[in-house]
Amino acid sequence: MSRPTLHRLLHLPSSLRTFSVLSRPTPNYPSHVPLTPLERASLAITSAFGSLLNPHRHDLIAALGEATASPYFISRLHRAMLANPTGRRILRERPRITSKTMRLEELREYPENSVGRAYAEWLDREGVTPDTRDGVRYIDNEEEAYVMQRYRETHDFTHAITGLPVIIEGELAVKAFEFANTLLPMTALSLVAFVRLKKAERARFWSVYLPWAVRNGLKAEEVVNVYWEEELGTDVGVLRGRLGIEVPPDLRGIRKREREERKRERGVREAEGRAAERNGEATG
Amino acid sequence: MSSTLLFRKQLFQLPPALRKSLFSTASTITNPEIYDVVCIGGGPAGLSLASALRSNASTKRLRIALVDSQGLNGGKSRDDAALYSNRCSSLTPASVKFLKECGVWEKVEKQRVQNYHGMEVWDGVSGSSISFDPLDATSGGGLLDAVGELVPGNRFTASRRKYEMGDANMVATMCENQNLTNALLEHLRTLGDVDTFDRTKVDSIQLGPEPVDEKSLNLSQWPIASLPNSRHLAARLLIGADGANSPVRNFAGITSEGWDYNQHGVVATLRLDRTFNPEDLRTAYQRFLPSGPIALLPLPNNKASLVWSITAPLAAKLKALSPQDLASMVNAAFRLKIADLDYFLKHLETIDVADELSWRLPNTSPTATGLPSSLPTVTAVQEGSTASFPLRMRHASTYTGHRVALIGDAAHTIHPLAGQGLNLGLADANSLAQRVTYGMEHGMDIGSAWCLDGYNGDRWAKNNAVMGVCDKLQKVYSVGSGPVVWARSLGLGLVNRLGPLKGTIMGAAGSA
Repeated sequence: MSRPTLHRLLHLPSSLRTFSVLSRPTPNYPSHVPLTPLERASLAITSAFGSLLNPHRHDLIAALGEATASPYFISRLHRAMLANPTGRRILRERPRITSKTMRLEELREYPENSVGRAYAEWLDREGVTPDTRDGVRYIDNEEEAYVMQRYRETHDFTHAITGLPVIIEGELAVKAFEFANTLLPMTALSLVAFVRLKKAERARFWSVYLPWAVRNGLKAEEVVNVYWEEELGTDVGVLRGRLGIEVPPDLRGIRKREREERKRERGVREAEGRAAERNGEATG
Repeated sequence: MSSTLLFRKQLFQLPPALRKSLFSTASTITNPEIYDVVCIGGGPAGLSLASALRSNASTKRLRIALVDSQGLNGGKSRDDAALYSNRCSSLTPASVKFLKECGVWEKVEKQRVQNYHGMEVWDGVSGSSISFDPLDATSGGGLLDAVGELVPGNRFTASRRKYEMGDANMVATMCENQNLTNALLEHLRTLGDVDTFDRTKVDSIQLGPEPVDEKSLNLSQWPIASLPNSRHLAARLLIGADGANSPVRNFAGITSEGWDYNQHGVVATLRLDRTFNPEDLRTAYQRFLPSGPIALLPLPNNKASLVWSITAPLAAKLKALSPQDLASMVNAAFRLKIADLDYFLKHLETIDVADELSWRLPNTSPTATGLPSSLPTVTAVQEGSTASFPLRMRHASTYTGHRVALIGDAAHTIHPLAGQGLNLGLADANSLAQRVTYGMEHGMDIGSAWCLDGYNGDRWAKNNAVMGVCDKLQKVYSVGSGPVVWARSLGLGLVNRLGPLKGTIMGAAGSA
């Protein structure tokens, strides 16, 4: 092979090579960590198993979300925001939801049945705060990274307007709704946590909450396009109507009733057992 | 036209003599003037045919008439040399060679003509691109070229050299239509001996009257064009160069099949952000959008010509924009993602185009959209230069009939995405002139099928192939997502890397 030909062979176009891990390209935003395709794939697999084994590892769940969102799904969500006038305004103004920008004391003052009040009541009932969510690190495009961040920060609002609690059952219902609405793969992968549900919970999820989630997620407007900071004073019912979301059955209420039912049955069984013992003693 | 209508038409196609006596309504034809060639239509195709016939020794004694409904005294020279017409054409090297051979090219105003040497064509949806770099041929190509050179008996360098004619590695030449027409008219005037009937609309075309007796002149098989002032031109060969709705084609009973694209071509003259010198290498740019391709073709100094094919309602909206907004929209159409551009076009009346553009540009990654780094920014649109025309594809079922030949738009209409329309017309004129020359040199009757069939055989299949490719390209690139996008991006990327294949395509496109 002649020297010029060998030279040409070595200078293949750069799209066929990825960068070396010893010299990563400059980050596109402060918390950006560029990954090679192999790194991204192994991050996806290991964080999937890690978060299944320990669902409290929110950093692994975040990493799973970011590793699986590129290249297509986060771009699709980004495009959905660009196609909507409110979505574009959100991308332009880049609002952030943190415990500083959403103060619980102010939110509690909002009128009855408003989005802000519903959000505050839900936070109080579940015992959580609008903590600063993990920053996005593994998405290359800067604007797409913001879209992912926005989705993460507005996840609690979806809980608030549907009334679903933070227990696994409620989270799975919200995740199923979000998959039908945003198509992010991580939301579908979270449904693997289905295996951690008890038998009765599984039956309820399968027959009630999954159909609700799929039906509403597909029918509703893109929830990522809602400018929540401006909708705090809106009536929740009006917002739900505008988005096209039905209220699911009250999960905490159902569970409370079932618990009471089980307690009552246990009480009856114990009473019967004691009565049987006494009879046995009397006869025996 | 439905097939039943066609069938009925053919069924009731009467023999010419019977048809003429039943249907002719015009006054009886007295004293027809006999011409060898009557060319109806004074556009570039008709004029170049007349020029070619008058330039050639074998045909220069033919009696030629040229009829046009518009004035043929040439457009006035522009008051402001900086203004350019919005109707420009891209002339391939083969067309320029033909015009040089006729002696027309030296009369073209050279300072208003722009050669371009490179082409950047990219897919708006996926960003995949193909670039024809002027330095490609000189650098000797890539690895595959080296491998190709090893094959014995290969003709790769020869095929690439096909488009290296004249100006080093010139791809094509941008020329205003008026510039070309003026040069053609001036050349015809210099040659003289062509009877021009300008501002004359042809009243009717019929076959001649039956001869009164055995010995008198029999023009019953000759087409006779009747002009308003009772003049009748009998043609040994009648040329239809009269545009898409050709009356000559109707007279000959030749059908023209095709379809309308649901698009209009918006044209304008643009001002760019930097000025180029005459000796600079220039590039033409084309981006394929799902709504239609947008092309920026270079003109001298800091000017460029815009051809943007887009759906009819959006074309109307674009024409209604202010020049500043249209300039911003052109920049947006080349630079932004499709999702952004769709939003712009949908909400054109309500948004501030310049403001949205200035926000979106820094947030759009050029590598994702495939933007070539050399693309200049459009700063303004020349006042009054925005116009649009409907796009369609039509092809006549044959180009010749008895004593009738069709050239130019009368024979075929094509989508402007490959800039081939005028070039095909000039190639038609070239081929027909050569065929008439051959006929004259071999004692044929130039209006007979014996002479004309050669023209049909030479041009019909080639034109059909070019039109077919352009039509399929338009259809493939009008898809917005899915496997077609993936397949076409892969194909374009492959062709981009295969130097010899690219060279062959350029050679084929350049030699028409």
